Amino acid sequence: MTTPTPILPNSPAIEAVELRKTFGDIHAVDGISLSLQAGRIYGLLGPNGSGKTTLIRLLTGLARPTSGSARVLGVAMPSRENLAHIGYMTQADGIYPELSVFENVRFFAALYGVRDRNEHLAALRLVELADRVGTPASQLSGGMRRRLSLACALVHRPPIAFLDEPTVGIDPALRVQFWSHFRALAAAGTTLLVSSHVMDEADRCDELLFMRGGKVLAQGSGKELRARAGTDDLEQAFLQFAGEGGPATGGAT
Amino acid sequence: MNRLRVLALARRLVEELRRDHRSLALLFVAPVILTGLFSFVMRGQGEFDTRAAVVDLDGSTHGALGTGIGLAADEAGIKHMDLSLTDEASARQGIRAGDLDVVLIIPPGFVQGQLTGTAPPLRLITAGVNPGADGSHVAAMRQALAGAASALSPGGVAKPPAVEHETVFGSPDADSVDALAPVFIGFFAYFFVFLLTGVSFLRERIGGTLERLLATPVRRGEIVLGYSLGFGLFATIQVAVVLIWSLLNLHVGPVGPVPALTLGLAVPVAGNPLLAYAVTLLLALGAVNLAIFLSTFARTELQIIQFIPIVIVPQAFLSGILFPVDTLPNILQPVARALPLTYAVEGLREVIIKGADLASRTLQVDLLVLAGIAIVFMVLAAGTIRREVA
Repeated sequence: MTTPTPILPNSPAIEAVELRKTFGDIHAVDGISLSLQAGRIYGLLGPNGSGKTTLIRLLTGLARPTSGSARVLGVAMPSRENLAHIGYMTQADGIYPELSVFENVRFFAALYGVRDRNEHLAALRLVELADRVGTPASQLSGGMRRRLSLACALVHRPPIAFLDEPTVGIDPALRVQFWSHFRALAAAGTTLLVSSHVMDEADRCDELLFMRGGKVLAQGSGKELRARAGTDDLEQAFLQFAGEGGPATGGAT
Repeated sequence: MNRLRVLALARRLVEELRRDHRSLALLFVAPVILTGLFSFVMRGQGEFDTRAAVVDLDGSTHGALGTGIGLAADEAGIKHMDLSLTDEASARQGIRAGDLDVVLIIPPGFVQGQLTGTAPPLRLITAGVNPGADGSHVAAMRQALAGAASALSPGGVAKPPAVEHETVFGSPDADSVDALAPVFIGFFAYFFVFLLTGVSFLRERIGGTLERLLATPVRRGEIVLGYSLGFGLFATIQVAVVLIWSLLNLHVGPVGPVPALTLGLAVPVAGNPLLAYAVTLLLALGAVNLAIFLSTFARTELQIIQFIPIVIVPQAFLSGILFPVDTLPNILQPVARALPLTYAVEGLREVIIKGADLASRTLQVDLLVLAGIAIVFMVLAAGTIRREVA
């Protein structure tokens, strides 16, 4: 089990300064600065291709920024050691289809240095797969694979978790459970950055970041953003911020 | 049957393949190159260079017989003929050291016996490592012998002299299986480990698990070592199975309708099987890491399969499995000397046929080169696993 690296109170858990990542002419991440506090759930909202995954890859150090810098728990990324304090659920499931449910969790746990079988099972109970430990991952439904992927990302109880579209294809009842679990993690001090392209999960987050064209259009609680956009509908608010004449930045290039 | 749908399918395949330049190259260029290479190697064999010696232990002709054979040798295509040796031991030493391919021993009393029809047989000694090559050397020597016989007695010899064939290593009865089985152990290990790792690591790269792996604190070197260990284990088991099968000579009596049969290839092993093991394991380690490295250059499992004609097949021609490296055309010899399989084949022959131990200089070199190649491939493999860390 990992304990969070001590950081100064109120110092940001995740910090980015003018992060930029270009692939040829494409500005996947276009000068993003942000500062996210510990123990909160941040929702990263935006359409496919808006740069959410690239931003997460930059913050985890899996991609090197073209310019700018990122710090997680006060440590400059990329940092291999710091990955021990980070959980990352990738958009592709990133699990081994030939291995059983339990073997997948045990494998990733071992890479994080977690060897306690009870911890492995706890992670599986959390995603309600404890009764399927022996099932080959290839035989799981899409939703179950997402759950297994989440268990692999949280098995080392990281203080920071990046979850890339964690609830795609998941049963609504289980989705409610997921969110109450995320809430419990946040209450215990975990910082979560959850990406999504659907708006209906937004209000479960403490704060939202609207993304489009590699830029963060707006950041704030759902309530604030609605108020600033002058609408009750979050989708309308997003369009407001993204569209011309919106109160936020100039939008995508 | 809808003609349009059939055409649409065919067209789609053509369009797909047209964009896959590598597959196209493989389809059309690889057969040309491979058959070219094969015939180059095969025809290069025509220049079989037999280094021979005659030891005349029958003093009665004062060396005339040996000289006659020496003269006929040139006709028989033997370019190197050594008539200076006077005892069998030094001749055998010459073969053991690889300086001589074939030695003719003329036993004492041969000329006298030939007149009375009681001549002791002539003895031909070869290395016994490669029956194919030995066959050519023996044939050249017999031709020289026949030439010398007709030159010495124009009237014709009453009876052609009896010739016995002996070998320094192995047995003169060794067949191609005995010579090839040891090296096939190496070839199979190389082939299967390469394929297994290549496909497995490609899945890791395209299936998103490598990305997931790299989001943990794992080091690149740890991934490479982990793969080497995991597939090294499979290589170990495979080598054990093939080795046991090759050496096994188990007679099973008739059981019901099944006739009596022999299980195993019954290949005689002269050296320590554990050394053969070490050679093959080092080879397999190289194969694991070469496959990780090359998986960077493949996008599909098909493209991993495509490495077989490029990486595996030429090694089969060049590494001395079928044709001794020394007899390859000159420009191919440095290529052969750069291939890991060449050293594995040489090492396995040293151990299994010649019975070499760790004191053998050749085996030492083979093991060191194989270890070096494995390390180079490991570094290359680790270099292709990127976390995009600067």
